[in-house]
Amino acid sequence: MNQMLSAKVLEYRGKTLDFSPENPAEAKIPADELHEHLQKPSTARTKRLKERCRWKHASAGEFVEKGVRAGIERMRYITEAHKASIGQPEVIRRALGLANVLNKSTLVLQPDECIVGYHAEDPNQFPLYPELSSMGVQDFLMSDYAPQPAEEAAEIHKYWMPYSLQAKCQPYFDPTDLRRMYQFSSMEAPPFVSGYNSIVPPYETVLQDGLLARIKLAESHIADAQKAMSAFPWDGTKGLDYIEKIDNWKAMIIACKAVISWARRQGRLCKIVAEHFETNPKRQAELLEIADICHRVPAEPCKGLKDAFQAKFFTFLICHAIERYASGYAQKEDSLLWPYYKASVIDKSFQPMDHMEVVELVEMERLKVSEHGAGKSRGYREIFPGANDLFILTVGGTNADGSDACTDMTDAILEGAKRIRTPEPSIVFRYSKKNREKTLHWVFECIRDGLGYPSIKNDDIGTNQMLEYSQYSITGNGATNEEAHSWACVLCMSPGVTGRRKTQKTRSEGGGALFPAKILEVALNDGYDWSYADMQLGPNTGGIETLKTFDDVLEAFRKQYRYALQMCLSTKDVSRYFEIRCMQMPFVSAIDDGCMELGMDANALSEQPNGWQNPVTTIVAANSLVAIKKLVFDDKKYTLEQLNDALMANWEGFDEMRADFRKAPKWGNDDPYADEIITSFYEDIIGGEMRKITNYSGGPVLPVGQAVGAYMEVGSRTGPTPDGRFGGEAADDGGISPYMGTDKKGPTAVLRSVAKVQKNQKANLLNQRLSVPIMRSKHGFDIWHSYMNTWFDLNIDHVQFNVVSTEELRAAQREPEKHHDLIVRVSGYSARFVDIPTYGQNTIIARQEQDFGAEDLEFLDVDI
Amino acid sequence: MEADTCKQCAQFFSVPKDADDYEAGKADCVLEKEDEKGKYWLSKPVTENSKRCDSFRLKR
Repeated sequence: MNQMLSAKVLEYRGKTLDFSPENPAEAKIPADELHEHLQKPSTARTKRLKERCRWKHASAGEFVEKGVRAGIERMRYITEAHKASIGQPEVIRRALGLANVLNKSTLVLQPDECIVGYHAEDPNQFPLYPELSSMGVQDFLMSDYAPQPAEEAAEIHKYWMPYSLQAKCQPYFDPTDLRRMYQFSSMEAPPFVSGYNSIVPPYETVLQDGLLARIKLAESHIADAQKAMSAFPWDGTKGLDYIEKIDNWKAMIIACKAVISWARRQGRLCKIVAEHFETNPKRQAELLEIADICHRVPAEPCKGLKDAFQAKFFTFLICHAIERYASGYAQKEDSLLWPYYKASVIDKSFQPMDHMEVVELVEMERLKVSEHGAGKSRGYREIFPGANDLFILTVGGTNADGSDACTDMTDAILEGAKRIRTPEPSIVFRYSKKNREKTLHWVFECIRDGLGYPSIKNDDIGTNQMLEYSQYSITGNGATNEEAHSWACVLCMSPGVTGRRKTQKTRSEGGGALFPAKILEVALNDGYDWSYADMQLGPNTGGIETLKTFDDVLEAFRKQYRYALQMCLSTKDVSRYFEIRCMQMPFVSAIDDGCMELGMDANALSEQPNGWQNPVTTIVAANSLVAIKKLVFDDKKYTLEQLNDALMANWEGFDEMRADFRKAPKWGNDDPYADEIITSFYEDIIGGEMRKITNYSGGPVLPVGQAVGAYMEVGSRTGPTPDGRFGGEAADDGGISPYMGTDKKGPTAVLRSVAKVQKNQKANLLNQRLSVPIMRSKHGFDIWHSYMNTWFDLNIDHVQFNVVSTEELRAAQREPEKHHDLIVRVSGYSARFVDIPTYGQNTIIARQEQDFGAEDLEFLDVDI
Repeated sequence: MEADTCKQCAQFFSVPKDADDYEAGKADCVLEKEDEKGKYWLSKPVTENSKRCDSFRLKR
């Protein structure tokens, strides 16, 4: 039998280390089925819920489970309200649109669930957003997932053509430039076309105040404004400002009232089912309790943990799926829920329960998120293979006084994740040397079980970054020290503050990608994309014959990169301009203290800048530049023209030359030659050029390199590259990760390389694959803990891990039906391996599996 | 007489008078559905005079 653990032994500091498993029973588990033995739902109920979970995973752009499709209700009711509200202020129209959807939409309740609520009229469906992007909806209309009746959906789509965000923004750009962006090969399409979005809802105000209190606040602001407007003497320079504010507050009231009514309607459904359909007395009682909770929250402040989970989930549905679409699950969940954990578990003052009941609630929340469908266009489904959307919550870190922020709530979140084994939501752990070991053990256990999360972020870097961005606040009211400690990852790996105000509200602030590998390809070809779109993709910067020095190559890249930056960032800010004017979010505004105080829409008010853009495929470009410098300009073994000939032939007939370019120094091996060029590339060009941009919020824009699945999608659209890669092959899978299989010098060499990049970066994703036998051995935690402390000391921003064997991945390719619990880290998110297309699966198998040698343990100063 | 409005349906539940969304004649239509993943319930606002639909079940 091919057993899980190898018989590896290692001599280290005069000792012979053997790597027998920490749990001796695991020695009998075959290596190719380990993941199928790790699930341990905490109750029979969560086991049932997982078995019947309505996953919305997509693979190669197609939904994996049958019956998944777009619903029509949201688009129907938002349109109905839009037609009925002509002449009213736009923000009021948006509020009436939300209210119409909430008042008329069908509600869903499923057996066993204790956290209720859904965002479409059927648990297999998800909503669409015709007011955002006409292309995004058109994509669905042309697919098997079109809302029904299709004729009505087509009519709605047509209605919104002149009103959509896309229609408002497009006229301000040259169609040639936009067409280049639509290729999704050097630049991501603008947000007004993709409709893709990110938000950090200020959950705290909902849980702490309740919406009735928010309504009272808005009413009081309106009364004060009206009083000020009627006060003598009239001052037109100030008095007129109240008009917009009053409209915003009125819209907030409409939105909050509609949300309360919708939640109570959900409670009523629970009561009706309890009294007329359910026969199990225990479940009947449970449903009546849920009905009571939905009546009280989010209208009133939460008093216990069940209240908090429910109010949070309702808020998530509104902010991420009903008022407007937004990806993500951004929240500092352990801090957010800790007061309610104390009330229910420690003080037992309301909804008394024990710790394991909290774990069960965590598992149920994870399954609710797993069922959440997103109406993303095909392109966005393709770049998240194996997942339904990006959902990422954050835990751990430190408090404002510098103390450890880990609590028993943190542990419950991690234990629930380990037990139930779902790919989503992903978890970010803010690593600090102050974190308690008990919690670190839970972090480690999730990682070594192969969940791919928590991904680890450097707590100090994130906090300092919030303070740095705060200096650019255009209102002078950026994050305080306390607020800077409240950060969570907005979407994948980019920190942003959480809390009652100052959170990121739209992806036009931070988000969106551009692709250096393709940009280098066109920089070598006068801006022309010969390998994919067969069109001019950037400005004319000269053909390869004009590039006489390595600096010429770099400068050609720089010009192409600046063009891509300019397009990406200007389209984002133009999106923001019109989001403020026609895509207002009155509910989000109502729950943000800043918007409430100032009577402003959430898109408009920016107190804490958080500008970022995501370069994906940077390492392919960087390794290519290293190879060009070494073989063309230093060694002069080849000319650029010869290289060009080889690339145009996709290396066919140039085997020896390709071997040379593949052998050129590569990132991730602590190689001084490669690392000097690549560090400069990151700091001077990728980050340095981006930093010159100032966005709507007045702050700089910095790189957040995080590949998600775009490294596959864009790799397939990128021609052969001078690093020896064939055209169409996947690109690098992180933001700063070595290219798959090229980091040959061990895990600590990777850390040493990555640590060299420090300037002009916001975040960079580092993907590492660790040895299963070592991580599951009795020494696993000590080695990982030392690795993490070294990583922290080297001031590296991020790392995430795959701990899965090649045997198991290959077995899952052969017999996918036997491997439904095999989870892998793609890049920034985890996915069920069997739901990833083969092309993507192979990129994960190809990643270097890092073993630890004695020299690595010495560098990490592991004390065994 | 053949029933032809929602009001006569067993799945028609009047909105209580103290509810935020109370309107005379307004109700929740609660349907039990089932597919290969299991049972679930849907609730949709209706009015008592709405015409009966294919899911109509006579109130007893």
